[in-house]
Amino acid sequence: MSKEARLGAVSAEPDAEVRADHRIGLPAIFAAFFWLGVTSFGGNTAAWLYYQIVQRRHWVTDAEFLSDVALGRIAPGSGGVNLTVQVGQRLRGGAGAATAVVGLLSGPLVIVLALAAAYTRIGWSPAAHAVLDGIAAAAIGLTFATGLKLLPSGSARLGPLAVTLATVLCVGVLRWPMLPVVLGLAPISIGLALVQGRNA
Amino acid sequence: MPDDFRTLLALVLVFVPLSLLSIGGGASLLADMEHQSVTVHRWTTAREFADLFAISRAAPGPGTMLSTLIGWKAAGCTGALTATVALYLPSSLLVYGAARLWGRWRGSVWHAAVERGLAPIAAGLILSGGVAVLRVSPGGAAVWMAAVAATVLLLRWPWLHPLALFAASGALFGLVGLW
Repeated sequence: MSKEARLGAVSAEPDAEVRADHRIGLPAIFAAFFWLGVTSFGGNTAAWLYYQIVQRRHWVTDAEFLSDVALGRIAPGSGGVNLTVQVGQRLRGGAGAATAVVGLLSGPLVIVLALAAAYTRIGWSPAAHAVLDGIAAAAIGLTFATGLKLLPSGSARLGPLAVTLATVLCVGVLRWPMLPVVLGLAPISIGLALVQGRNA
Repeated sequence: MPDDFRTLLALVLVFVPLSLLSIGGGASLLADMEHQSVTVHRWTTAREFADLFAISRAAPGPGTMLSTLIGWKAAGCTGALTATVALYLPSSLLVYGAARLWGRWRGSVWHAAVERGLAPIAAGLILSGGVAVLRVSPGGAAVWMAAVAATVLLLRWPWLHPLALFAASGALFGLVGLW
Protein backbone atom coordinates (compact mmCIF):
# COMPACT_ATOMS: atom_id res chain seq x y z
CA MET A 1 0.00 0.00 0.00
CA SER A 2 1.08 3.56 -0.54
CA LYS A 3 2.46 5.90 2.05
CA GLU A 4 -0.84 7.72 2.06
CA ALA A 5 -2.78 4.61 2.91
CA ARG A 6 -0.43 3.89 5.81
CA LEU A 7 -0.86 7.41 7.07
CA GLY A 8 -4.59 6.94 6.80
CA ALA A 9 -4.39 3.74 8.82
CA VAL A 10 -2.41 5.51 11.52
CA SER A 11 -4.85 8.39 11.59
CA ALA A 12 -7.73 6.01 12.21
CA GLU A 13 -6.33 5.39 15.68
CA PRO A 14 -7.93 7.44 18.45
CA ASP A 15 -6.03 10.56 19.45
CA ALA A 16 -3.64 10.26 16.49
CA GLU A 17 -2.06 13.50 15.39
CA VAL A 18 -2.71 14.11 11.72
CA ARG A 19 -0.44 16.68 10.17
CA ALA A 20 -2.12 19.11 7.85
CA ASP A 21 0.72 18.92 5.33
CA HIS A 22 0.12 15.22 4.68
CA ARG A 23 -2.76 14.27 2.47
CA ILE A 24 -5.11 11.73 3.92
CA GLY A 25 -5.56 8.54 1.87
CA LEU A 26 -8.80 7.71 0.07
CA PRO A 27 -9.17 4.32 1.87
CA ALA A 28 -8.96 6.12 5.21
CA ILE A 29 -11.56 8.65 4.06
CA PHE A 30 -13.85 5.86 2.90
CA ALA A 31 -13.47 3.93 6.15
CA ALA A 32 -14.08 7.00 8.31
CA PHE A 33 -17.23 8.05 6.46
CA PHE A 34 -18.57 4.51 6.14
CA TRP A 35 -18.38 4.18 9.92
CA LEU A 36 -19.95 7.61 10.26
CA GLY A 37 -22.84 6.60 7.99
CA VAL A 38 -23.75 3.38 9.74
CA THR A 39 -23.57 4.92 13.22
CA SER A 40 -25.37 8.24 12.68
CA PHE A 41 -28.89 7.95 14.02
CA GLY A 42 -31.67 10.48 14.29
CA GLY A 43 -30.43 12.90 11.66
CA ASN A 44 -27.39 13.98 13.68
CA THR A 45 -24.75 13.47 10.99
CA ALA A 46 -23.24 16.91 11.71
CA ALA A 47 -22.74 16.20 15.42
CA TRP A 48 -21.35 12.75 14.75
CA LEU A 49 -19.05 14.07 12.01
CA TYR A 50 -17.75 16.66 14.47
CA TYR A 51 -16.95 13.98 17.02
CA GLN A 52 -15.33 11.54 14.60
CA ILE A 53 -13.64 13.75 12.02
CA VAL A 54 -12.87 16.96 13.91
CA GLN A 55 -12.35 15.97 17.52
CA ARG A 56 -10.84 12.51 17.13
CA ARG A 57 -9.04 12.69 13.79
CA HIS A 58 -8.36 16.46 13.56
CA TRP A 59 -8.82 16.31 9.78
CA VAL A 60 -10.49 19.74 9.65
CA THR A 61 -10.65 22.64 12.11
CA ASP A 62 -13.65 23.86 14.13
CA ALA A 63 -13.89 26.95 11.93
CA GLU A 64 -13.84 24.94 8.68
CA PHE A 65 -16.43 22.55 10.07
CA LEU A 66 -18.82 25.34 11.08
CA SER A 67 -18.46 27.09 7.75
CA ASP A 68 -19.27 23.83 5.94
CA VAL A 69 -22.26 23.18 8.21
CA ALA A 70 -23.70 26.59 7.35
CA LEU A 71 -23.24 26.27 3.57
CA GLY A 72 -24.45 22.67 3.67
CA ARG A 73 -27.69 23.71 5.31
CA ILE A 74 -28.34 26.67 3.01
CA ALA A 75 -27.77 24.63 -0.15
CA PRO A 76 -30.44 22.24 -1.45
CA GLY A 77 -30.22 18.60 -0.43
CA SER A 78 -29.45 16.80 2.82
CA GLY A 79 -27.37 18.89 5.23
CA GLY A 80 -25.39 15.82 6.30
CA VAL A 81 -24.52 14.79 2.74
CA ASN A 82 -23.64 18.36 1.78
CA LEU A 83 -21.37 18.64 4.81
CA THR A 84 -19.70 15.37 3.83
CA VAL A 85 -19.12 16.62 0.26
CA GLN A 86 -17.39 19.73 1.55
CA VAL A 87 -15.24 18.00 4.15
CA GLY A 88 -14.26 15.35 1.58
CA GLN A 89 -13.35 18.13 -0.83
CA ARG A 90 -11.14 19.81 1.79
CA LEU A 91 -9.38 16.49 2.47
CA ARG A 92 -8.73 15.30 -1.06
CA GLY A 93 -10.51 17.38 -3.72
CA GLY A 94 -13.06 15.80 -6.05
CA ALA A 95 -11.93 12.24 -5.36
CA GLY A 96 -12.14 12.90 -1.62
CA ALA A 97 -15.66 14.29 -1.90
CA ALA A 98 -16.87 11.33 -4.01
CA THR A 99 -15.20 8.79 -1.72
CA ALA A 100 -16.64 10.39 1.41
CA VAL A 101 -20.21 10.49 0.05
CA VAL A 102 -20.12 6.93 -1.29
CA GLY A 103 -18.68 5.80 2.05
CA LEU A 104 -21.35 7.68 3.97
CA LEU A 105 -24.31 6.38 1.95
CA SER A 106 -23.37 2.79 1.10
CA GLY A 107 -23.84 1.35 4.60
CA PRO A 108 -27.23 2.97 5.32
CA LEU A 109 -28.41 1.98 1.82
CA VAL A 110 -27.84 -1.71 2.53
CA ILE A 111 -29.20 -1.47 6.09
CA VAL A 112 -32.40 0.31 5.11
CA LEU A 113 -33.09 -2.28 2.39
CA ALA A 114 -32.43 -5.12 4.84
CA LEU A 115 -34.80 -3.51 7.35
CA ALA A 116 -37.49 -3.12 4.70
CA ALA A 117 -37.11 -6.76 3.63
CA ALA A 118 -37.25 -7.93 7.26
CA TYR A 119 -40.25 -5.72 7.92
CA THR A 120 -42.28 -7.21 5.08
CA ARG A 121 -41.60 -10.70 6.53
CA ILE A 122 -41.88 -10.31 10.30
CA GLY A 123 -43.44 -6.90 10.93
CA TRP A 124 -42.45 -4.46 13.62
CA SER A 125 -42.20 -5.25 17.31
CA PRO A 126 -42.98 -2.67 20.05
CA ALA A 127 -39.64 -3.48 21.70
CA ALA A 128 -37.83 -2.49 18.50
CA HIS A 129 -39.65 0.85 18.58
CA ALA A 130 -38.59 1.40 22.19
CA VAL A 131 -34.94 0.58 21.45
CA LEU A 132 -34.96 3.01 18.51
CA ASP A 133 -36.48 5.73 20.71
CA GLY A 134 -33.68 5.19 23.22
CA ILE A 135 -30.96 5.41 20.57
CA ALA A 136 -32.61 8.52 19.09
CA ALA A 137 -32.71 10.19 22.51
CA ALA A 138 -28.97 9.68 23.09
CA ALA A 139 -28.28 10.86 19.52
CA ILE A 140 -30.21 14.06 20.21
CA GLY A 141 -28.09 14.46 23.35
CA LEU A 142 -24.95 14.28 21.18
CA THR A 143 -26.41 16.96 18.89
CA PHE A 144 -27.05 19.30 21.84
CA ALA A 145 -23.64 18.64 23.38
CA THR A 146 -21.98 19.41 20.03
CA GLY A 147 -23.93 22.63 19.53
CA LEU A 148 -23.11 23.78 23.06
CA LYS A 149 -19.40 22.94 22.65
CA LEU A 150 -19.30 25.03 19.47
CA LEU A 151 -20.90 28.13 21.03
CA PRO A 152 -18.92 31.29 20.25
CA SER A 153 -15.99 31.75 22.63
CA GLY A 154 -13.27 34.34 23.18
CA SER A 155 -13.24 37.94 24.35
CA ALA A 156 -15.68 39.41 21.79
CA ARG A 157 -18.24 36.65 21.98
CA LEU A 158 -21.36 38.56 23.05
CA GLY A 159 -22.42 39.57 19.53
CA PRO A 160 -21.91 36.09 18.00
CA LEU A 161 -23.62 34.51 21.00
CA ALA A 162 -26.68 36.72 20.37
CA VAL A 163 -26.69 35.53 16.73
CA THR A 164 -26.62 31.88 17.87
CA LEU A 165 -29.46 32.54 20.31
CA ALA A 166 -31.51 34.29 17.61
CA THR A 167 -30.97 31.31 15.27
CA VAL A 168 -32.15 28.82 17.90
CA LEU A 169 -35.15 31.00 18.77
CA CYS A 170 -36.31 31.52 15.16
CA VAL A 171 -35.53 28.11 13.66
CA GLY A 172 -35.67 25.77 16.66
CA VAL A 173 -38.37 27.28 18.88
CA LEU A 174 -40.58 29.36 16.57
CA ARG A 175 -40.04 26.98 13.63
CA TRP A 176 -39.65 29.72 11.06
CA PRO A 177 -38.36 28.52 7.67
CA MET A 178 -34.60 28.17 7.92
CA LEU A 179 -33.52 29.83 4.69
CA PRO A 180 -34.96 33.35 5.28
CA VAL A 181 -33.71 33.27 8.88
CA VAL A 182 -30.17 32.41 7.78
CA LEU A 183 -30.23 34.93 4.93
CA GLY A 184 -31.45 37.59 7.38
CA LEU A 185 -28.95 36.87 10.12
CA ALA A 186 -25.91 36.21 7.90
CA PRO A 187 -25.30 39.84 6.81
CA ILE A 188 -25.53 41.01 10.44
CA SER A 189 -23.18 38.30 11.67
CA ILE A 190 -20.69 38.76 8.82
CA GLY A 191 -20.74 42.54 9.34
CA LEU A 192 -19.98 41.95 12.99
CA ALA A 193 -17.08 39.67 12.08
CA LEU A 194 -15.70 42.31 9.68
CA VAL A 195 -15.83 45.04 12.34
CA GLN A 196 -14.29 42.80 14.99
CA GLY A 197 -11.60 41.66 12.55
CA ARG A 198 -10.68 45.30 11.92
CA ASN A 199 -10.48 46.10 15.62
CA ALA A 200 -8.51 43.00 16.47
CA MET B 1 -38.83 1.00 -24.38
CA PRO B 2 -38.96 -1.83 -21.81
CA ASP B 3 -41.07 -1.30 -18.73
CA ASP B 4 -38.38 -1.46 -16.07
CA PHE B 5 -36.28 1.08 -17.95
CA ARG B 6 -39.30 3.37 -18.08
CA THR B 7 -39.73 3.04 -14.31
CA LEU B 8 -36.06 3.90 -13.70
CA LEU B 9 -36.39 6.93 -15.92
CA ALA B 10 -39.50 8.01 -14.00
CA LEU B 11 -37.57 7.66 -10.72
CA VAL B 12 -34.81 9.89 -12.09
CA LEU B 13 -37.33 12.45 -13.31
CA VAL B 14 -39.01 12.55 -9.88
CA PHE B 15 -35.93 12.64 -7.64
CA VAL B 16 -33.54 14.89 -9.59
CA PRO B 17 -35.82 17.95 -9.30
CA LEU B 18 -36.51 17.11 -5.65
CA SER B 19 -32.75 17.04 -5.06
CA LEU B 20 -32.31 20.57 -6.35
CA LEU B 21 -35.49 22.04 -4.86
CA SER B 22 -35.28 20.59 -1.36
CA ILE B 23 -33.89 23.70 0.29
CA GLY B 24 -33.98 23.79 4.06
CA GLY B 25 -34.55 20.15 4.86
CA GLY B 26 -36.93 17.27 4.82
CA ALA B 27 -40.49 18.43 5.50
CA SER B 28 -41.40 19.81 2.08
CA LEU B 29 -39.47 16.97 0.45
CA LEU B 30 -41.60 14.42 2.28
CA ALA B 31 -44.89 15.86 1.04
CA ASP B 32 -43.65 15.89 -2.56
CA MET B 33 -42.35 12.33 -2.34
CA GLU B 34 -45.66 11.15 -0.96
CA HIS B 35 -47.60 12.83 -3.74
CA GLN B 36 -45.35 11.45 -6.49
CA SER B 37 -45.06 7.88 -5.24
CA VAL B 38 -48.65 7.37 -4.02
CA THR B 39 -50.83 9.51 -6.29
CA VAL B 40 -48.89 10.14 -9.49
CA HIS B 41 -46.86 6.97 -10.10
CA ARG B 42 -48.51 4.49 -7.71
CA TRP B 43 -45.20 2.99 -6.66
CA THR B 44 -46.63 2.52 -3.14
CA THR B 45 -49.98 2.67 -1.42
CA ALA B 46 -50.52 5.34 1.26
CA ARG B 47 -50.12 2.69 3.96
CA GLU B 48 -46.91 1.33 2.43
CA PHE B 49 -45.53 4.86 2.20
CA ALA B 50 -46.13 5.42 5.94
CA ASP B 51 -44.41 2.10 6.71
CA LEU B 52 -41.44 2.94 4.50
CA PHE B 53 -41.15 6.30 6.22
CA ALA B 54 -41.01 4.61 9.64
CA ILE B 55 -38.36 2.17 8.37
CA SER B 56 -36.25 4.98 6.90
CA ARG B 57 -36.29 6.74 10.26
CA ALA B 58 -35.13 3.58 12.01
CA ALA B 59 -32.13 3.11 9.73
CA PRO B 60 -28.90 5.04 10.34
CA GLY B 61 -27.66 7.57 7.84
CA PRO B 62 -27.86 11.20 6.85
CA GLY B 63 -31.32 12.58 6.36
CA THR B 64 -33.71 10.55 4.35
CA MET B 65 -33.14 7.10 2.91
CA LEU B 66 -36.83 7.15 2.02
CA SER B 67 -36.06 7.72 -1.66
CA THR B 68 -34.04 4.48 -1.58
CA LEU B 69 -37.05 2.55 -0.31
CA ILE B 70 -39.43 4.09 -2.82
CA GLY B 71 -37.02 3.16 -5.60
CA TRP B 72 -36.86 -0.36 -4.19
CA LYS B 73 -40.66 -0.69 -4.19
CA ALA B 74 -40.84 0.66 -7.73
CA ALA B 75 -38.04 -1.33 -9.37
CA GLY B 76 -36.13 -3.56 -6.94
CA CYS B 77 -32.45 -3.08 -6.14
CA THR B 78 -31.70 -1.20 -9.38
CA GLY B 79 -34.53 1.14 -8.50
CA ALA B 80 -33.15 1.65 -4.99
CA LEU B 81 -29.73 2.59 -6.36
CA THR B 82 -31.22 4.81 -9.08
CA ALA B 83 -33.44 6.74 -6.68
CA THR B 84 -30.59 7.21 -4.16
CA VAL B 85 -28.20 8.55 -6.79
CA ALA B 86 -30.93 10.72 -8.36
CA LEU B 87 -31.69 12.33 -4.99
CA TYR B 88 -28.15 12.89 -3.75
CA LEU B 89 -25.97 13.44 -6.84
CA PRO B 90 -27.37 16.74 -8.19
CA SER B 91 -27.31 18.57 -4.85
CA SER B 92 -23.87 17.14 -4.08
CA LEU B 93 -22.47 18.41 -7.39
CA LEU B 94 -23.94 21.84 -6.68
CA VAL B 95 -22.37 22.02 -3.22
CA TYR B 96 -19.07 20.72 -4.58
CA GLY B 97 -19.01 23.47 -7.20
CA ALA B 98 -19.93 26.11 -4.64
CA ALA B 99 -17.26 24.89 -2.21
CA ARG B 100 -14.56 24.97 -4.91
CA LEU B 101 -15.52 28.48 -6.01
CA TRP B 102 -15.57 29.61 -2.40
CA GLY B 103 -12.15 28.07 -1.78
CA ARG B 104 -10.61 30.34 -4.41
CA TRP B 105 -11.16 33.39 -2.21
CA ARG B 106 -9.36 31.82 0.73
CA GLY B 107 -7.01 34.30 2.34
CA SER B 108 -9.07 37.40 1.55
CA VAL B 109 -10.53 39.56 4.35
CA TRP B 110 -14.02 38.78 3.06
CA HIS B 111 -13.53 35.04 3.09
CA ALA B 112 -12.41 35.10 6.72
CA ALA B 113 -15.28 37.40 7.76
CA VAL B 114 -17.93 35.28 6.04
CA GLU B 115 -16.61 32.10 7.63
CA ARG B 116 -16.43 33.71 11.06
CA GLY B 117 -19.85 35.26 10.58
CA LEU B 118 -21.47 31.97 9.60
CA ALA B 119 -20.00 30.06 12.57
CA PRO B 120 -22.46 31.28 15.25
CA ILE B 121 -25.36 30.65 12.85
CA ALA B 122 -24.11 27.11 12.23
CA ALA B 123 -23.93 26.43 15.98
CA GLY B 124 -27.52 27.68 16.26
CA LEU B 125 -28.62 25.43 13.37
CA ILE B 126 -27.07 22.37 15.03
CA LEU B 127 -28.94 23.10 18.27
CA SER B 128 -32.16 23.79 16.33
CA GLY B 129 -31.74 20.44 14.56
CA GLY B 130 -31.76 18.72 17.95
CA VAL B 131 -34.92 20.58 18.97
CA ALA B 132 -36.64 19.68 15.69
CA VAL B 133 -35.88 15.95 16.00
CA LEU B 134 -36.98 16.00 19.63
CA ARG B 135 -40.27 17.59 18.63
CA VAL B 136 -41.22 14.93 16.06
CA SER B 137 -40.01 12.03 18.20
CA PRO B 138 -42.89 9.67 19.03
CA GLY B 139 -41.30 8.66 22.36
CA GLY B 140 -42.66 11.52 24.48
CA ALA B 141 -41.31 12.78 27.82
CA ALA B 142 -38.95 9.84 28.33
CA VAL B 143 -37.06 10.79 25.16
CA TRP B 144 -36.80 14.43 26.30
CA MET B 145 -35.37 13.38 29.66
CA ALA B 146 -32.93 10.88 28.15
CA ALA B 147 -31.77 13.48 25.61
CA VAL B 148 -31.04 16.03 28.35
CA ALA B 149 -29.29 13.37 30.45
CA ALA B 150 -27.13 12.35 27.46
CA THR B 151 -26.25 16.01 26.79
CA VAL B 152 -25.10 16.52 30.38
CA LEU B 153 -23.11 13.26 30.42
CA LEU B 154 -21.33 14.07 27.15
CA LEU B 155 -20.43 17.60 28.23
CA ARG B 156 -19.30 16.51 31.70
CA TRP B 157 -17.23 13.53 30.51
CA PRO B 158 -15.98 14.26 26.97
CA TRP B 159 -14.10 10.94 26.82
CA LEU B 160 -17.40 9.07 26.95
CA HIS B 161 -17.95 7.35 23.59
CA PRO B 162 -21.30 8.41 22.09
CA LEU B 163 -21.88 4.90 20.72
CA ALA B 164 -21.69 3.44 24.24
CA LEU B 165 -24.30 5.97 25.28
CA PHE B 166 -26.50 5.12 22.25
CA ALA B 167 -26.33 1.43 23.15
CA ALA B 168 -27.03 2.02 26.86
CA SER B 169 -29.97 4.28 26.13
CA GLY B 170 -31.39 1.88 23.52
CA ALA B 171 -31.08 -1.05 25.93
CA LEU B 172 -32.70 0.91 28.75
CA PHE B 173 -35.68 1.94 26.60
CA GLY B 174 -35.99 -1.61 25.25
CA LEU B 175 -36.08 -3.10 28.75
CA VAL B 176 -38.64 -0.58 29.98
CA GLY B 177 -40.66 -1.17 26.81
CA LEU B 178 -40.70 -4.95 27.32
CA TRP B 179 -41.64 -4.58 30.95
